[in-house]
Amino acid sequence: MPKLNAVLLLAVCLLFSRAGRAAAPHESTYAPRPAPTTLIQGVAVLTGTGERLARVDVLMQAGRIAALAAAGGLDSAALQAGSAAGRRNEAGGGQERRPEAVPVRVINGAGKWLTPGIIDVHSHLGAYPSPEVASTADGNELTDPNSAGVWVEHSVWPQDPQFGLALAGGVTTLHILPGSGNLFGGRGVTVKNVPSRTVQGMKFPGAPQSLKMACGENPKRIYGEKEKAPTTRMGNVAGHRAAWAAAAAYREKRRKFQAGDADAAPPRDLGLDTLAAVLDGEILVQNHCYRADEMAVMLDVAREFGYAVTAFHHAVESYKIADLLAEAGVCSAMWSDWWGFKLEAFDAIPQNVALVDAAGACAIVHSDSAEGIQRLNQEAAKAVASATRMGMTIDDAQAIAWITSNAAEALGIADETGSIEEGKAADLVLWDRQPFSVYAHAEKVWIDGHLYYDRQDASRRPASDFDLGQTVAGQDQ
Amino acid sequence: MALAVLPWLLAAPSWADLAIAGGRVYTLENPEPLQDATILIAGGRIEAVGVNLSVPFAYQRIDAAGKIVTPGLIESYSHFGLREIELEPSTDDAALLEYPLAPAFDVSYALNPNSTLIAVNRMEGVTRAIAFPLAGVDPLAGLAAAVRLGGEFLLEPRTALVGYLDAAATDLAGGSRAAALQRLFRAFAEASRFSPSRYRPGPGDYSRHDMAALKRFITSGKPLVLAADRAAEIRRAIDLAAAHDLRLVVLGGAEAWRVREALAAAGAAVVVRVHGNLPRSFDALGARLDNAALLHEAGVRVIFTGAGLGGATNLRQMAGNAVAHGLPWHDALAGLTRRAAETWGMEDVGVIRPGAHADLVIWSGDPLEVTTWAEQVVIDGEPMPMRSRQTQLFDRYQDLSKPYGYR
Repeated sequence: MPKLNAVLLLAVCLLFSRAGRAAAPHESTYAPRPAPTTLIQGVAVLTGTGERLARVDVLMQAGRIAALAAAGGLDSAALQAGSAAGRRNEAGGGQERRPEAVPVRVINGAGKWLTPGIIDVHSHLGAYPSPEVASTADGNELTDPNSAGVWVEHSVWPQDPQFGLALAGGVTTLHILPGSGNLFGGRGVTVKNVPSRTVQGMKFPGAPQSLKMACGENPKRIYGEKEKAPTTRMGNVAGHRAAWAAAAAYREKRRKFQAGDADAAPPRDLGLDTLAAVLDGEILVQNHCYRADEMAVMLDVAREFGYAVTAFHHAVESYKIADLLAEAGVCSAMWSDWWGFKLEAFDAIPQNVALVDAAGACAIVHSDSAEGIQRLNQEAAKAVASATRMGMTIDDAQAIAWITSNAAEALGIADETGSIEEGKAADLVLWDRQPFSVYAHAEKVWIDGHLYYDRQDASRRPASDFDLGQTVAGQDQ
Repeated sequence: MALAVLPWLLAAPSWADLAIAGGRVYTLENPEPLQDATILIAGGRIEAVGVNLSVPFAYQRIDAAGKIVTPGLIESYSHFGLREIELEPSTDDAALLEYPLAPAFDVSYALNPNSTLIAVNRMEGVTRAIAFPLAGVDPLAGLAAAVRLGGEFLLEPRTALVGYLDAAATDLAGGSRAAALQRLFRAFAEASRFSPSRYRPGPGDYSRHDMAALKRFITSGKPLVLAADRAAEIRRAIDLAAAHDLRLVVLGGAEAWRVREALAAAGAAVVVRVHGNLPRSFDALGARLDNAALLHEAGVRVIFTGAGLGGATNLRQMAGNAVAHGLPWHDALAGLTRRAAETWGMEDVGVIRPGAHADLVIWSGDPLEVTTWAEQVVIDGEPMPMRSRQTQLFDRYQDLSKPYGYR
């Protein structure tokens, strides 16, 4: 029987390869759009690596950040020749091709600011789209507290008009998570914020999936109302531990099967597949958890079963255990100032982000909101101001990491994006002024070097299918 | 004149007279600020404001050099004192959920003057607010109250009548807003000729008590607040207010810009939730970030709410974003102060002029920016403690090496 499966699998693979389909099932089919060589001159830069550069030239080439130099250091005439040479090389040795001048798009960055593309590590766009009606509420599979087998990407509606609004706020990459009603909510997905007919066309190539876990009020409230476990916090943790124990046994069986013990083959279980992949280090744990004491318990659960928590989400009490989080190497993904809407958020303070950062732990500002995602720059700014007000010292160059490089780190994509460094993807936002001002607008947004949004050019503002024939949300008309 | 002044002098509490010296003062009497100005405060009211004022000897002096001074901010839509924690029903008195007592439902009876929200919001420069009933079981939710975030909490009960005609309210009148609107038009018409002895309520009709309250409201001159997003309901709201010569305030109004000329002609105000630009419901397909700017250009009075999950900074952040999307800066400030006070019938509030309530905020910079904060808040002449439960938590956890567990 296993043999037959293998044959079938081979046949399927052949079929796909014959049809020219490179992508395996569920893999990304994202295709970068044309990325002309673009030079931004004399712009102020927050690199995302802790630096502020007063006036520099930034060159995008073939979708990457090709060069950074002191203002005036990159000569556009020389670049045109270089660009032509680059193109000739790309064409390959076999083909004869005459070098031709490739126009370099030059943008005057004087008085403007460039940051890495904004990354939101906690979003539900597409799974809880606008309009927010029952027929599109696809983020929480509330039929069992363990829904580790569901993948939120199978809920994401690429036509959600909220994607385009987030792009206007400079968001180039977002991590979409299932909701927090379950102990195990399912797998999250990292997407590029590009218009696409399919979710596969948005998936960030090579980005690991995540496992959404939740502690605290939500699971116990939802299942408490159903008179089903868990109804308490201790019930939550017992539910977590039982699932990890099952995952460890499943993984052991699978290991034995792979080592040649045909009888050990466990029946395929989608939920345990997810948990086992966490134990194998292939899937990152994003754990919704508000209270400090509960985060400490979840760290114990992780230690007990040998997995790592990548980030606690919401984490409104991280400031109470910032030292423990720094030591454990766990990120906190936080709002700047959401407060008091539920009891486990009653101790939220607007200095949370800064206190976590100051303790040397990884601090991230997230949105969890289709409104908040449009202005994560302002949320970071508020977190800075709240800390400054209390006598702390936080630099904007450091704070931009909360919505760029630290976020990339927590999604396992920091080698690719999240900072302005030579060789990184040209995911960039040009702001019309210092981006921590309430008056700042994202003027231009590039993803892999392609200009996806231009505030000055109506034809460069995406409209989803849903927007057609309606008033286009948020746009002048 | 002397008689008009006497009541507040008699009621003046015992704190010292104040001088706020050296700030850039936005009086809201004039768009241009007074530079390096001094505000003298006596008996809880503003005594004088101007440049080159000398500070009398006995006055407590607050230095505002290099700072910006504005009137205290007014949150035009809140549940302060009515709801402590949204997801804890035992702390929530904002909505009537069991039986209809609609126009007569007066939230002021439940106001909690010790709510932790008061200090948290005051820290962000909010000095007064309207506490709203939420939609319960009827399109008319009840009577809102005006509150103050320092001193005596309740300013005025029954300061506005509130109804909900937005998408979430479709179910409030049997599943159709047609029925909800008919119910409102009929009730208002009947209330204006209501007489207790002749009123015979049928099943589902408002009680005598409700009709009496509705009649009192109609003749009170207080504003009628109708929550509506879709242009269609906003037009009906205008019609209802016009039929009874009521001042209309539209709450939310995602598509208010589509009917801005009619709103301007009706003299209506709109409480704008600036960040609400999502087509979140089919009522809000026309939601946009420049709603406030378009309404203002057409002559509609724009005021603000920061309502939402965020913190207390939201109110001024939203006003700042309205500016980022086209509303003139001083008009945004006016929407947080003077125009809100005028809308809610708060006399001598929201302006810095002799005789006005001394509700003032000294800001570290532009009050509409997200990079600034309130350095000192003054309510009716009293400097407020710049402390809240949140600052106490900060103090406790700022240094994790301190022995834990005691004040």
